Amino acid sequence: MISRLWMFGDAGPVVHISPGGVFQFGGLTITNSILYGWLCSVILIVILVWVARKISIKPRRGLVQYIEAAAEFIINLVEGSFEDKKRARKYVAFFVTLFFFLLFNNWLGLIPGVGEALHVGSIPLVRPFTADLNGTLAAAIVTMAVVYTASIRESGGIIKYLSHFFIGSPLNPLYLILGLLEMMTDLTRVLSLSLRLFLNITIGEIIIAVFSYLGHVAAPITAAPFTIIEIFVGALQAYIFVILSVMYLAIAVNNASESEDQHLTEEDVADKISLRPKESLSG
Amino acid sequence: MILLADAINTAIIGKGLMIGGGFIGPGIGIGLIGGSYLQAVGRNPEASRFLGQALVFVGIVELIFLLAFASIFIVK
Repeated sequence: MISRLWMFGDAGPVVHISPGGVFQFGGLTITNSILYGWLCSVILIVILVWVARKISIKPRRGLVQYIEAAAEFIINLVEGSFEDKKRARKYVAFFVTLFFFLLFNNWLGLIPGVGEALHVGSIPLVRPFTADLNGTLAAAIVTMAVVYTASIRESGGIIKYLSHFFIGSPLNPLYLILGLLEMMTDLTRVLSLSLRLFLNITIGEIIIAVFSYLGHVAAPITAAPFTIIEIFVGALQAYIFVILSVMYLAIAVNNASESEDQHLTEEDVADKISLRPKESLSG
Repeated sequence: MILLADAINTAIIGKGLMIGGGFIGPGIGIGLIGGSYLQAVGRNPEASRFLGQALVFVGIVELIFLLAFASIFIVK
């Protein structure tokens, strides 16, 4: 449909929504998003390991400072969602890495070489990994697998984890149906996480393609405001992905651990809030 | 009626209806979020530290807008 912009009389902007195969390896086709994903992973590992070696007590200026600030932001987020800080330590590394992976994937798709500039045959050589539904579905499945495994382990078994969905006894038909509806909402999380990220990044690419097509020679000027918007949107969508996953995990973990306030008697409550009962009026 | 369906391009009409109806909701939703954020800041200027969380909710509402936009490319 986009290729029918008749006003210029030529082919219209070239927009790809699905990835194209670049070369064959064994029996599998390696697509351009897979290539981009590998490239981003290598860059990510190199940069983060280099930054981790340079961390010291005294803060340093430069790239180290920014990455440290972003990592601390996510660490505060994760620790703030869990009530028990020691448990949060186990999951911090995964979420920080996930955030940086999605951030680099979204941002590196905006540099001018990625996309239509380099071609292999008729398909682009590299294409953002998150602008491909297969990519974001993979990221969402891996994240939800980690969240489910962690919640089952923290709840102490599958039966106890499933019993948090039912507010009463499951033999009551009303509670049974409500519990099953809650479980189905749980399963749609994978779809909503992956679709949100994929659609945001792909539609950003389409908008930039249309606007750089509309200004033939002045393409850098007409596409510049949208590239700046896409920088913001890329960072925001990576952050939303991570914050939603952390929330899903925190719900399951906080349900599992009972706080010590559940087993108090009346005297304990009075002691806790430092209120002594009135002495009886006997002599 | 069958001849009529061949003459009219119902796919374009379907796309137009989906775009028209689907872009109303998220626009109102994002406007409401922005409005309540500004009201809260007006009452209590210390509430401006919730800007990050307001933008997170905008991102969640935008999913519906993007689903309507994506249906342009899905319906033939």
